[in-house]
Amino acid sequence: MTRFTIPATAKAIALQLLVVALATIVLSASGNARMAPAITLPDRDGAKITLESLRGRVVLVDIWASWCPPCKAAFPAYDKLYRSYRERGFEVLAINVDEKRGAADAFLNSQEFQLRVLFDPKGTAPMGFELRAMPTSYLVDKRGAIRFSHEGFTEKVLPQYRSEIEELMAEKP
Amino acid sequence: MAVSKGTALVGGALASLVAVAAVVMMDGARSHAQEPQSAQSLGLQFHTFVDSRGVTVLSPTIDLGKDFTDRTGLRVGFGVDAITAASDSCARCHEEGANNARVFVNASIVRKYGDTQVSVGGEYSHENFYQATTVSTSISRSLNQANTTVAGGYSFSWNRPQLHPDEIVENQASHSAYATLTQTLTKNTIVQLGYELGYISGYQSNPFLRTTVDGVKMVGVHPDTRIRHALTARLRQALPADTYLEADFRRYSDDWDVKANTWSVGLSKEFSPRVTLSGIYRRHGQAGAYFYEPFYTGSPQYYTADFRLFPFDSNLYTARGIFTPHDGLMMFPAGTALTVQYEFYQSTTKFEAGIFTLGVRMPLPHK
Amino acid sequence: MTRTTTIRRVLAVLALVALGAGATACATVQPWQRGRLSKTCMQFSPDPALTAFAGHWQESREGAAGGLGLQGGGCGCK
Repeated sequence: MTRFTIPATAKAIALQLLVVALATIVLSASGNARMAPAITLPDRDGAKITLESLRGRVVLVDIWASWCPPCKAAFPAYDKLYRSYRERGFEVLAINVDEKRGAADAFLNSQEFQLRVLFDPKGTAPMGFELRAMPTSYLVDKRGAIRFSHEGFTEKVLPQYRSEIEELMAEKP
Repeated sequence: MAVSKGTALVGGALASLVAVAAVVMMDGARSHAQEPQSAQSLGLQFHTFVDSRGVTVLSPTIDLGKDFTDRTGLRVGFGVDAITAASDSCARCHEEGANNARVFVNASIVRKYGDTQVSVGGEYSHENFYQATTVSTSISRSLNQANTTVAGGYSFSWNRPQLHPDEIVENQASHSAYATLTQTLTKNTIVQLGYELGYISGYQSNPFLRTTVDGVKMVGVHPDTRIRHALTARLRQALPADTYLEADFRRYSDDWDVKANTWSVGLSKEFSPRVTLSGIYRRHGQAGAYFYEPFYTGSPQYYTADFRLFPFDSNLYTARGIFTPHDGLMMFPAGTALTVQYEFYQSTTKFEAGIFTLGVRMPLPHK
Repeated sequence: MTRTTTIRRVLAVLALVALGAGATACATVQPWQRGRLSKTCMQFSPDPALTAFAGHWQESREGAAGGLGLQGGGCGCK
């Protein structure tokens, strides 16, 4: 009777597949676990803000410009989200990519808002996020991973934002 | 829109409206079909056209662009052209002058499928001696992160001119297909290339303009088919100090041997987000149709008195101001823009016209 | 219009399209860099009603028509 043996190479391949599968499961727990890029940008007062400093919080990164109509429509909606969840550790970074600060200020002066606005005239943030269309928003989890992203904006998507924010806030850091 | 008809009257007869209205119809519906991306807005415009041959056109128009869902929008337009004319030709038959009013309505539906946009629309117009019905469709696709837009479209017009003073109704069918490529070259430069092919069949003469054949005044006779080609190249260039250059060129030709070069160049200066002033110069030069003669002898197959088929050059000077008051305009909301424009046109056919436009465009809430 | 002329025209259009397609290959304008491109002054037909009006009266005076007033460009927003 011939004894059936598994070749060593096959064992190695099986082991590697197992590792890959486990890694996939772990990663899928945090969605597309691409880490958010390192960002250091000034706010309205000139203070430098980094995305890393917000680890442990769920962050909505909104990349917007004053020349982009849907961006301007989204701005007050994101401020509303911020007011709803900030007590629970939610943060919004509205990153403006206007080349001229005056254009952004003209829009901001017409708004009442509490979310944090950062200025990025050179576009380092959209480059880091590999943005493909204006506007795009990213939901970054407590560990700094980009878990959800939305291109464009309509009011109809807001319930989806809320459920995603709730989901990320329920996770442990 | 009706101003075009009024200008036709300048030629000396109500019948010029026929050809003009054909153009109006074709372009009216098409302009709506081709501009589905215009922002949601309500526009009111009032045009006055006064020329050196006694024609006055007053034309109020209204247009509305509204998106009802994320993917579906509606564009509608309505206008009236009130025309008064006291030109020599009209006065021969109408001592009090000749008045006309054209009413038109158009609508198109725009639907987005990802980066592709499709529109279907139509227009109907009615006036003395002329009715026109147009259907049109267009498709465009945005590529390469919106740096490239490829668009194409087709429109068909069924036009029914009525002869005057007879009451015979003629038919004319007009097909038009176009394609454009719009390309962003840099963050300051954008260009567009276009080609349009037109085919018109049926009655294309002008029943109101008369030329001399063997010393006798006769209504023109034109061929009953016409194939038209238009190639265009356009440029928009941002310059330093919030200044913008626009340059357009069109090469036109058809199988009636009308060949034309039309170019324009303009500068706009944005003095603030509230005030933009523009100055534009346009030059048009064309060769006459192969059957054009100042007067005819013998038994020509075709003959014409239509000034649009003559050889001539023209100049157009445009001055435009767009004002967007910070807190809105009178009863209109913030974001409303007021357009004030004056144009002066002169051609080597000794024709001159002044065109004044006052327009208000107010934004509608973005959903 | 002869067949040769028609073929020549079609070839010219194709050449222009190819030229444009070539240009697309090197386009590097990113979505967040379209601030100037979104300006009214950079649009080919910023006010369709005004464009239509101008086109109409010009075409009622001149023998040439077509080819203008087409779409494209803008802010490229979603």
